[in-house]
Amino acid sequence: MSVVVIGLSHRSAPVELRERFAFADESIPAALRSLRDRRLATEAVILSTCNRVELYAVTALPPDAAFAELKKFLVAHHAFDGALGDELYTYAEPHSLHHLFKVASGLDSMVIGETEIFGQLKDAYELAFAHQHTGARLNKAFQRAFNVAKHIRTKTNIQRGSVSVMSAAVELAEKIFTSLAEHEVLVIGAGETSEKTARALLSRGARGVVVTNRSPERATALAAALGGRAVPFEQWPEEFEHIDIAVSSTAAPVHILDRAKLEPLMRRRKNRPLLLIDIAVPRDIDPAVSALDNVYLYNVDDLQAIADDYLQLRLEEVARCEQIIAAKVAALLAHTSPRPSPLPAGGAEREKHSPPP
Amino acid sequence: MAWFTDRHYFLLAVTLYGASTLYSVFLWRKGFRRDDWVNYFLLAAGVALHTLAMTKRGLTLHSCPVNNLYEATTFLLWALGLACLVYSLLPRFKFLSAFTAPVLFTVGVFALMPSLDPPHGPQPEFSGALRSLHAATILQSYGAFGLAAVAAAMFLMQQHDLKFHKLRALLSFLPSIQRLELITLRLTIVGFALFTIGLVTGALLPRHTGQPYLSDPKVVWSALFWLVYLELIVARFFFGRSTRRFTIGVLVAFAALLLTFWVTNRYSGLHN
Repeated sequence: MSVVVIGLSHRSAPVELRERFAFADESIPAALRSLRDRRLATEAVILSTCNRVELYAVTALPPDAAFAELKKFLVAHHAFDGALGDELYTYAEPHSLHHLFKVASGLDSMVIGETEIFGQLKDAYELAFAHQHTGARLNKAFQRAFNVAKHIRTKTNIQRGSVSVMSAAVELAEKIFTSLAEHEVLVIGAGETSEKTARALLSRGARGVVVTNRSPERATALAAALGGRAVPFEQWPEEFEHIDIAVSSTAAPVHILDRAKLEPLMRRRKNRPLLLIDIAVPRDIDPAVSALDNVYLYNVDDLQAIADDYLQLRLEEVARCEQIIAAKVAALLAHTSPRPSPLPAGGAEREKHSPPP
Repeated sequence: MAWFTDRHYFLLAVTLYGASTLYSVFLWRKGFRRDDWVNYFLLAAGVALHTLAMTKRGLTLHSCPVNNLYEATTFLLWALGLACLVYSLLPRFKFLSAFTAPVLFTVGVFALMPSLDPPHGPQPEFSGALRSLHAATILQSYGAFGLAAVAAAMFLMQQHDLKFHKLRALLSFLPSIQRLELITLRLTIVGFALFTIGLVTGALLPRHTGQPYLSDPKVVWSALFWLVYLELIVARFFFGRSTRRFTIGVLVAFAALLLTFWVTNRYSGLHN
């Protein structure tokens, strides 16, 4: 009996193919039952997200035979009549466990280190467990995977930092202000990115939001959606007395805020710190304003650079995480199998099984 | 163990401050990225030995050990170290110790110079609770000013990193600049209040007949620094002085205080 994995993900297959193989939540228990009824697996878990569809199974079949049967099962279940090549990947022990630990830790995700997959994997496991399609092997493997993911999250920097422009803006705000609960946000220009940024700030506790736009209807609509208030576009400078964070994304061809305009506003604000996030192209805010004391200006390139740097840091942490995972897989196999095989760090990808014919 | 004096305990404390300084350099080079207790415990062990040194000296003298420049300096450093340990327990303030350790180490090495600690006479000429209160409050105020300067240095580093879009500003486990400013301001006010009490109690102390008071170098120097700190606080509160200028002022004022402290003590008739 060994744990095997068959599946396809954002790394191996385009979205058109992934959506063909996706399982609806309500169809998963029946699919698991079918796998066991056909004696393809004694235990099974199906993970189906927008980025991956994977089938974890404990089988008595030799790996190659198991992969051929599981592939037939997937194709038949989804009535897929197209051609399949390398899109479908397969792993036998110990690489299947290595892959499971990587997925749980977010190392195989599109955004490395993201945590959403942890919850999705947990849901998939709990669904199979609730319908009694898991047993000793998968229970132990999944519990260990969750522990490893938590260990990696606390002991490495893999999940540290913001890898999107919006979250980078929030992180900046938290480095300037002690608590966002005391600070109001001004959104200048009701664009999609400014809305997302405002939402991200509100979700982290910002006190409120003021929206202004050349078209008052859009300002009112966005203010209502964000639970804030709208002000006429001509009056936004007056709001600077109350707000501490401004997100600007108008389509203005020239700067709408420059040093001459901001200097008296800062005096009225008694020089309280002000975070300006300029996500407009062309830019809304003259870069010269950053020379003013207590003014922190970030444009879209600055935020993207932060997100890129964080991503680079995460990539640098991958090797450390791989080492942790290799050690944990070896420990798990030592407990569950009389034939532990050493697994080199990062070796799972290299030793991937070829898709069955 | 009779040969092991309070100065030996202080020497060990300074050695630990030195180790903490070295570790601080490592933390600084790493961008203060990891939440680290090592430096805190190094400093805590140093402060414990420092306390032992001062207690031993105090028990020998049967009074607060602030009778010469060595004792005054060790008391100042002790106040700074203790305040640092307390403030480091605030969320994200653990790295305060990394900024304080270099001050404790460099000034501690200076304090160990034998000439600063001449042998005592049979008893200090003037003693009593008021004198101890004067010395303790003045030296604690220096400790508060010192810690305010450390928080100011952290603020200036963080502000520079945020202004110039350095990733270190986000990666480091340092507090928000708003919080650093608040701590700097509070410590400056606490230091100023203690300094004022110290100066008032100093004016009430008994003196030899004919001994000059208002023209004593230490009194003039203290009054000058009292005015400097008063100006910093008033300008910040009532004239909207920018945080940057305020924190630079706090940093420069403490550096000046530290550099001139020994000179004025040496030439003060009242303090010798």
